[in-house]
Amino acid sequence: MDQSRIRNFSIIAHIDHGKSTLADRLLQRSGAISERQMREQTLDDMELERERGITIKASAVSVDMPVDGVSYMFNLIDTPGHVDFHYEVSRALAACDGALLVVDATQGVQAQTVANAYAAVENDLHIIPVVNKIDLPGARPEDTALEIEHVLGIPVDDVQFVSAKSGDGIEEMCRSIVKLIPPPSGDRAGHLQGLVFDAVYDEYRGVVCFTRISQGRIRKGQKILLMGRERQYVVTELGKMRPGRVVVDSLAAGEAGYFVASIKTLADVTVGDTVTDALNPAAEPMPGYDPPKQVVFCDFYPAGGEEYDELRDALSRLSLNDASFTFQPQSSDALGFGFRCGFLGLLHMDIVQERLERECGVDVVQTAPSVTYEAQLTSGEVVRVEAAGDLPSIDKIAELREPIIETQIITPAESVGSIMKLADQRRGIFKKQEYLSPQRVMLTYEFPFNEILYDFYDRLKSVTRGYGTMDYHVIGFRTSDLVKMDILVNGKAVDALSVILHRSTADRRGRKILTRLRQEIARHLFEIPLQAAIGSRVIARETIKPLRKNVTAKCYGGDVTRKRKLLEKQKAGKKRMKTIGNVDIPQKAFMAVLEPED
Amino acid sequence: MSEIVRSIYAHVPFCHTICGYCDFYSEVLDRNAVTPLVDALIAELDAYAVATSIAADTIFVGGGTPTTLPAVELRRLLTRLAQCANSEASLEFTSEANPATVTPEIADALVAGGVNRVSIGAQSFDKSELRVLERIHHPPQVAQTVATCRAAGVDAISLDLIFGVPGQSMNAWLSNLQAALALEPDHLSCYGLTYERGTPLFDQLATGVVTRVESELEAEMFEATIDTLAAHGFDQYEISNFAKPGRECRHNLRYWRNEPYLGIGPSAAGFVDGVRYKNVPDTAAYVRASRLGQSARISEERLDAAARSRETMMLELRLREGVARGRFADRFGADPAALFRDAINRHLSLGLLEVDAGAVRLTRAGQLVADSVIADFI
Repeated sequence: MDQSRIRNFSIIAHIDHGKSTLADRLLQRSGAISERQMREQTLDDMELERERGITIKASAVSVDMPVDGVSYMFNLIDTPGHVDFHYEVSRALAACDGALLVVDATQGVQAQTVANAYAAVENDLHIIPVVNKIDLPGARPEDTALEIEHVLGIPVDDVQFVSAKSGDGIEEMCRSIVKLIPPPSGDRAGHLQGLVFDAVYDEYRGVVCFTRISQGRIRKGQKILLMGRERQYVVTELGKMRPGRVVVDSLAAGEAGYFVASIKTLADVTVGDTVTDALNPAAEPMPGYDPPKQVVFCDFYPAGGEEYDELRDALSRLSLNDASFTFQPQSSDALGFGFRCGFLGLLHMDIVQERLERECGVDVVQTAPSVTYEAQLTSGEVVRVEAAGDLPSIDKIAELREPIIETQIITPAESVGSIMKLADQRRGIFKKQEYLSPQRVMLTYEFPFNEILYDFYDRLKSVTRGYGTMDYHVIGFRTSDLVKMDILVNGKAVDALSVILHRSTADRRGRKILTRLRQEIARHLFEIPLQAAIGSRVIARETIKPLRKNVTAKCYGGDVTRKRKLLEKQKAGKKRMKTIGNVDIPQKAFMAVLEPED
Repeated sequence: MSEIVRSIYAHVPFCHTICGYCDFYSEVLDRNAVTPLVDALIAELDAYAVATSIAADTIFVGGGTPTTLPAVELRRLLTRLAQCANSEASLEFTSEANPATVTPEIADALVAGGVNRVSIGAQSFDKSELRVLERIHHPPQVAQTVATCRAAGVDAISLDLIFGVPGQSMNAWLSNLQAALALEPDHLSCYGLTYERGTPLFDQLATGVVTRVESELEAEMFEATIDTLAAHGFDQYEISNFAKPGRECRHNLRYWRNEPYLGIGPSAAGFVDGVRYKNVPDTAAYVRASRLGQSARISEERLDAAARSRETMMLELRLREGVARGRFADRFGADPAALFRDAINRHLSLGLLEVDAGAVRLTRAGQLVADSVIADFI
């Protein structure tokens, strides 16, 4: 199709603002799917995504769209909705020429609205603001449009007012897509250059790469080169999703679609890579090649120690279609053999953990998440520290640095005081306060990442009675007075419970962890001291008193077997625990370091 | 040739009402089910008498409430059981009884059937505690029952009491003990209340309708029991059992010493020829199997010597005399102090076990946490 009739764009939005419904409405209007076929949220295909309302995997759909009697091709490039997948969002946006920024008329601008809009601006995209859900009783379309103008500097006049649910305003919105989003440019006779903006694993065909062709043409049978990886393949299938798979012979500059090329695993493909012709390659790759960065780490141990193999296989399987988490063997005195896993963020961690249990049927014990620290050694070398146990000995460390995030928090104005108090407790540095409207405020803060890891979002929701939203991104590392705190149970340090934290929070956290441990560890036949220590200095202690009474009164009328089985059961329960320093520690206790602070 | 069985347990599953804490197999008395049940019990015993050498010196009829049976049927059952007695030894023949079920007629039937020991489920002398336990009797009925049994010629009386009843104070428990002692029993069983899964009381605990007595208080009650009864001449010969000298329950000692016994009746457990078995816990199914000439057993377990030695530890450690090292060595070919050296040393150092030339036994502190200690020997 002629480039002037093509529009490549994404729909971006805060979670639940109606992105998927709007996409479905466009598909339906194009005739690509009938009313009958239309399931809700066609673009989200994984069970988990549907349940959590989160789009994890980006995909692209091409539809013929009649606008004022002329047929256009709209390529909808879907983006993940959550900040953890910021990198994937930015790659998807790089494949677009414009973006629809959807804002819920009952909710107004939210933190991810801002984050997504910034990402679109970074990619030089033309943004069409779309105020959605105008049919709902609580809708404030004009106020919402004013907020958009205020925060994002997009004039009210450009705002489209729609109801994705009823279809109101969709016609007009399509007109402005044609009018305002520029058609793709790019020399179709030039050397092939295409951005791989997403890749999914298909059991039968191997890796399916989604690409937007910027220059030249890709053909079936062509020998291609992935420039970043310097690997060559032969294209075995080309196609478009409409939204069902439709095979084509070629994709030309301006078009978006997918190619299959006998690529075995997702690890062989990097999203953001450039595909070019192996014999006549483009002079240079397109900008934006950047491997995903894992910023949150935790350990997964098989809940039953024997299931190590199963866990390893399950992690391998998951990594086939999620190349952005990493795992490597890990072992702990307390928990045995397991894996240290890296994630793009907390949500990403939760998703992987859930998929492990749901799709792979493996029960895991998960240790508390931690962030990556940087240690500057006296030798000058800088090392990454992913777990307290990896911390080099203190005399070798010149300086410790922790990751810092910048966060935008959007909140009702009356909650600002509570948020500032919360931020103070979490070592937040206030940067900026902007009024979106007289009732709503956007606060910008910097936080040490580890201060928001556990429960910050829950606390934010609670102090804003559910109205607060936040978004964050890592902005770098900063020198900090960090210490390693050990937890000793019956005089023995438990490696899985050691944490790196700021010196000022150590006392409070130490006491919290011990209180929680005291609740989780059952009384034993002897007294168990619990201690939190920095180096050799004990900063908190607790005691678990010895068991006072545990005796079955009767012998069940001679039913000895029953009595024995009761005791055996009690013993089996003990077996599933980890014994450290003669103390049986239940798996739940290892989550003690996660205990929310208040 | 199989070993000689010297003890018989017979289970009568009927009760007038089912108590909220009880998890023994029992059902509300159905008059029409009595005769078929007694027929089946006798048939089961007959079958064992053919295949097994029985020369009983202890017989125990439990339940349920055996004294809910009509006198005629009760006597028919007891008479058949008594025929299994070893004529050359003295027989301890116990029946359980609940207050409010022992009429003079029933007491006469017991004695006429050969019973010489009655174990009465008193549980408490406090009205409100009895209500929590869902017992149907009134406090004064315990004394009446004791008197009725003595008048009929019962030789030994044992009373069951429960401590740690929700809402019970230390003083309330001590009053119960005094009330029991006033009846001059020969034997007392004092049980800490156990919340058994599947009982109404367990659900009440789970839903917060009743509150468990603090474990500290329960421990103090237990210790006060030992001291109070000792002062009245009762020896604690097993964790929960106290007797005047020579009045220990020989039948229960068979269990604790891990010796064989025959069990008959629905849900009854037995241990014969190295096999532990359990009968089906359903009267209708039990009667039906009997009528069809089928086995009543629902499960069997043959233990090897190692398992038997572990069970022996589990059981004998509950006895004040402890695990007799000589007898244990005779049975299993090894001294328990050597066989379980690690576990014994651990608990010796914690002061929970004591070992001397004759036996391995729990200390007073060890009795309080007996399950935790015993678990290490299983």
